[in-house]
Amino acid sequence: MTSRSTGLLYIVPAFSALALVLFSPVFYGFWFSLHRIRYGTASEFIGLGNYTQLLSDPGMAATFGRTAIHTAVSVALTVAISLAIALWVHRLPPNRGSIVQMIVIIPWITSTVVATLLFKWVFISDIGMAMSILRMFGLPDLQLLSDPNSAMGLLIAVSVWKRLGYALIILLAGLKSIPEDYEEAASLDGAGPWDIFRLIILPLLKTPLLLIVIVLTLSNINTVESPLVLTGGGPGSATRILAIDVFDRAFVNYDLGSATSLALIMFLGNVLLVLAYVRLSKWKV
Amino acid sequence: MRSTKTVNRRNLTRWNGILIGGFFTFLIILNTAPLLWGTLTSLKSEADLFRFPPTLFNFTPTMENYQRVFDSGFSYSLAISLIYSAITVVMVLLLGVPAAYAFDRFNFPGRRPLFLLVVASIPLSLGAAALLIPNYIYFLRLGLTNQYFTLPLIYTAHQLPMAIWIIKGTIEGIPRELDEAAVADGAGHFMILRMIILPLILPALGAAGVMAFVGSWNEFVASTVMVDAPELRPVQPAIYNFIGYFGREWGPLSAAAIMGVVPILIVFMLLGRLIVSGLTKGSVKG
Repeated sequence: MTSRSTGLLYIVPAFSALALVLFSPVFYGFWFSLHRIRYGTASEFIGLGNYTQLLSDPGMAATFGRTAIHTAVSVALTVAISLAIALWVHRLPPNRGSIVQMIVIIPWITSTVVATLLFKWVFISDIGMAMSILRMFGLPDLQLLSDPNSAMGLLIAVSVWKRLGYALIILLAGLKSIPEDYEEAASLDGAGPWDIFRLIILPLLKTPLLLIVIVLTLSNINTVESPLVLTGGGPGSATRILAIDVFDRAFVNYDLGSATSLALIMFLGNVLLVLAYVRLSKWKV
Repeated sequence: MRSTKTVNRRNLTRWNGILIGGFFTFLIILNTAPLLWGTLTSLKSEADLFRFPPTLFNFTPTMENYQRVFDSGFSYSLAISLIYSAITVVMVLLLGVPAAYAFDRFNFPGRRPLFLLVVASIPLSLGAAALLIPNYIYFLRLGLTNQYFTLPLIYTAHQLPMAIWIIKGTIEGIPRELDEAAVADGAGHFMILRMIILPLILPALGAAGVMAFVGSWNEFVASTVMVDAPELRPVQPAIYNFIGYFGREWGPLSAAAIMGVVPILIVFMLLGRLIVSGLTKGSVKG
């Protein structure tokens, strides 16, 4: 009914925006990272020099390690808790179920800067709500942000709290698509709740579960805001994860060479996750 | 079989009633306390703020914190963010609808790989921190930083892939027979988009639009890095700068934070269902 190029005309505007902001910077950035960077501009070609220098940085391995711990624990907790809540909400009458949904999504729709700031004020600050309650019971103040382990714990707590609503909504949509008679048939055959969960619900939730694992991993690896607002990477470098390390290299130390190289290494990791995402999402044209 | 289920449910209620009630309360406190406590804080004077035990409602509300934040130019940041986000929503729909239409209804060279690229860009733009540095040096080179259009352009590109995905998913559900009937009546493809497709995808446009609004209003990293002129600075970096500026003065800080979420909460109350549907459609299909 139309010539083959008409469709292309319709997508050109959208792809121009995507190419300018998302695609071309990657290629430019890679070219840039192969040069010695002086005062923010590329001078002579040094091949992978920026990368070898970066990987020989003694602090780098620890930063990767912290990122792995932060991401793995945050994702595992978010998935486990949201799955538990989802299974519970799924059994509630629709009205109450959607109230829970709406409440849990509030931290997610709040910007990370504001959410982290308010979380810090209410649950951590020495004159905030939580510490005041502790003090009313005569308990000593907790200096949670000055201890390396509890600082990381809090960073993880903020991450889980912030992203729980997202995971819950995706899992609920997945649960809704499981026909009810599956469960009924299974319980007729004498399956207990644990068997029903393990043998019926879990396999049928595989796709949404994997999708949220990927999306949560991506967003945890890339989060700059919550460490920036909550801990600033400290105490010492206890919560210095990759995203904030890249951010600091570029905009605090003005070392664009190493920042770009590290960002592209992160980007490579992102691409692997994205490929998994693309495989899972049932896209077709 | 119905009866087994009811019995199960009744047992469940009896055994776990208190537990579930407690958990419900815990969830509510955990998720709403920061906003509520932050609102109370923003209305307290310095003296009330440091009172121990802290007062819940027994204090004279004051607007002085809001006054101080406004005196530091915050109303300007709010206005800028509103403009940026509105432009982003319009641009996302303007670019997204034709693209989604083309991907669903036309056959053209490179359709599959290009759509694959769109799908891949959904999670990619979620994790924008890694992309940000290359994006920054690229825009710096092209002289695109610090312009009035810089942030709307970036937000648009970040929100567009998900919008195309959501809208295309809805167009798929519109029977092609409708198009064909219109063609028989002499309609061109643009007329089909305008007269047939567009009226049927309004809920999807709503979902995509709300997601784009929330996403661009809340964006922080690009907003901080890509512009430094104060007159171009949107609300999230403005709030972040207040952290350095007000230090531990939680009164004005929470006033700024609260004003930074109010527009989102308004959108949420009016269009909360669209957010949920946008999230669902945007992530898993089918």
